[in-house]
Amino acid sequence: MVDAAFLALSVITIGSAIAALELRSMIYGSMALMGTLGGIAGFFLLLDSPFIAMFQIAVYVGSIAVLILFTVMLVKRELIFKKIEDPRRKFAGIGLMLILMMGLGSIIIDSGLRTIQTNEPAVDFRDIGEDFLTYYWPALILMALILAGAVTGALVLARREDVEDEQRAN
Amino acid sequence: MIEISSTPLIILAILGTVAIAIPLISISRKDRGSSLFYGAIALGALLASIGYVIYQFVTGNVAQSAIFSEDVLVDDAFGGLFAIAMLIVAIMTTVASFNYMRKHKHPAVYFSLILLSAIGMVFVAYSTDLVMLFVAWELMSIPTYILAGYMKKDPSSNEAALKYFLFGALSSAIIIYGISIAYGITGSTNIGEVIQGFSTLDPTMTPLALLAVGMFIAGFGFKMGLVPFHMWLPDTYEGAPPTIAALLAAGTKKVGFAAALRIIIMGAVALSLDWTFALGIIAVMTMTVGNIAAVMQKNLARMLAYSSIGHAGYILIGLSIAPFSAIGIQGSLFHILNHAVMKGAAFIAVAGIVTTLAVTNIDKLKGLARKMPITSLGLVISLLALAGVPPLSGFWSKLMLFGGAIDAGPIAAWAPWLAIAGVLNSALSLAYYGWIIRKMYFEGENEKRVKEPKSIIAVMIFSIIFIVAIGVYPDPIIQFTETAVPNLAALSP
Repeated sequence: MVDAAFLALSVITIGSAIAALELRSMIYGSMALMGTLGGIAGFFLLLDSPFIAMFQIAVYVGSIAVLILFTVMLVKRELIFKKIEDPRRKFAGIGLMLILMMGLGSIIIDSGLRTIQTNEPAVDFRDIGEDFLTYYWPALILMALILAGAVTGALVLARREDVEDEQRAN
Repeated sequence: MIEISSTPLIILAILGTVAIAIPLISISRKDRGSSLFYGAIALGALLASIGYVIYQFVTGNVAQSAIFSEDVLVDDAFGGLFAIAMLIVAIMTTVASFNYMRKHKHPAVYFSLILLSAIGMVFVAYSTDLVMLFVAWELMSIPTYILAGYMKKDPSSNEAALKYFLFGALSSAIIIYGISIAYGITGSTNIGEVIQGFSTLDPTMTPLALLAVGMFIAGFGFKMGLVPFHMWLPDTYEGAPPTIAALLAAGTKKVGFAAALRIIIMGAVALSLDWTFALGIIAVMTMTVGNIAAVMQKNLARMLAYSSIGHAGYILIGLSIAPFSAIGIQGSLFHILNHAVMKGAAFIAVAGIVTTLAVTNIDKLKGLARKMPITSLGLVISLLALAGVPPLSGFWSKLMLFGGAIDAGPIAAWAPWLAIAGVLNSALSLAYYGWIIRKMYFEGENEKRVKEPKSIIAVMIFSIIFIVAIGVYPDPIIQFTETAVPNLAALSP
């Protein structure tokens, strides 16, 4: 049962990731991205981490993907992107990916990871929360600063000064 | 729990508060303020931070370089050395930006992002936990992605930011993959516990530990600009605003070495890997590719970018011979400190030239010594120091690196070849540095002097004093680096 669910989730996640990259329409592309992010939430469920799965859905599928969708709808995409296709690069990329997957896969399958059996209970999310406020507390502050920096920086980069100048001139 | 008065937390309090406050002040003011106003606030915060680090050293409150700690951070001499180097770079960048940002919009956010990146750089060096290190790594990187693309109407700045962001995101993904494997097989994110877990690992799990160390090498190698992970670097350093290129080349690039020392070297020692030879090969490749490519460049910023790839190779010599020679790793730390100032000064000289003359092509630097004598002198001194000409600071750190490689000869027969490769590469680098010096000083005799930006002059004078003073009297810094060297012998199983 778990194997079937794992396979189904893998197909959904990887399939929609490829679709997100390949679809011409950015709206469909961002919807496919939702599929990938949702599939990852499924993996967390299989790994006995319902709390993280819930957050994955709430934050990534619920807000980030919707935000991307809104941005795509609001921005005139033809003004921004000029797509240059190079099939050789694409095949080289696919080849590199296959080599990497086989390399990593063989290391992981050959290692003792497969034979490990644990009966330990799933990690309690309350422990994670507690750890963040005790052991990891400086990291938590740094995360807040990352968000602050990213938001202010993104605002400056996204600001359309040409439009502002035009409005001022009018 | 880590003490609230420990150096990294005080730096976090000072720089974090000011970094958040500057954009808020900018919003609340009607006139939005000048670059000098916000730059001065940022400079004050940076000076207070570096003052605190030095005060802690002077009063003897800093522990001898500790490799591990039960906490996420450790207030030791190793972190202190990097903190001083990184804060010097941040100060140089901030001062140089006074003039550079005068013509550009949003100075408040610009200086705020420099401060945030400085916190990240300092914290990477103090981290003793993988999660802490990763978060600090991101805090260092994300503001610099934005800063690299700050000139948003300039296509080359956009290209720089995009390339830097994509490769940076990839390297972060690789690092976090490495962290997840390390956590998966050892059950901890504390570097000390991970290393201990590595040394007592079930043999069937060893390939995974090797994979984790390999991923750390690749992930940190991107930022360090090691060959073959260096492709993004020249385009980014060329396209980014030159003051930010200084921050990247002299600051964030060096932080990769701090992370590498904390994790890769120690992890490899714990796994008793024969990784030294592989790192030695990467070192020779990196310095050779960097220097040969630098010879062919016509753009000053691009040439400096390739030269910084070459210097990553020199620094890696010390890391590759770490188990055999303490002098080598001490030389690496010394060179990191020196290179921060030398390369920072060179890029800031480029910022001065761009601000005043709007050129970066080496052919157009004819007679620069007559047009901008102080900037030219600063550039020449930093270039000669980069080449390792005595009696400048770069000479001593290269001497220690190459001396360490020869010193390791009896244990590792290949180590002296690193010194030979290093000396040959230094000679090669002198050729292209010499070419710039010839253009500036011996061509274009009818040029007239132009007004040099005051903030650039200030940075140049500081750099000249630093490089010459350490070159003439290196003892205090050598002793300082000695306390910062981690004791690797204690790690060997």
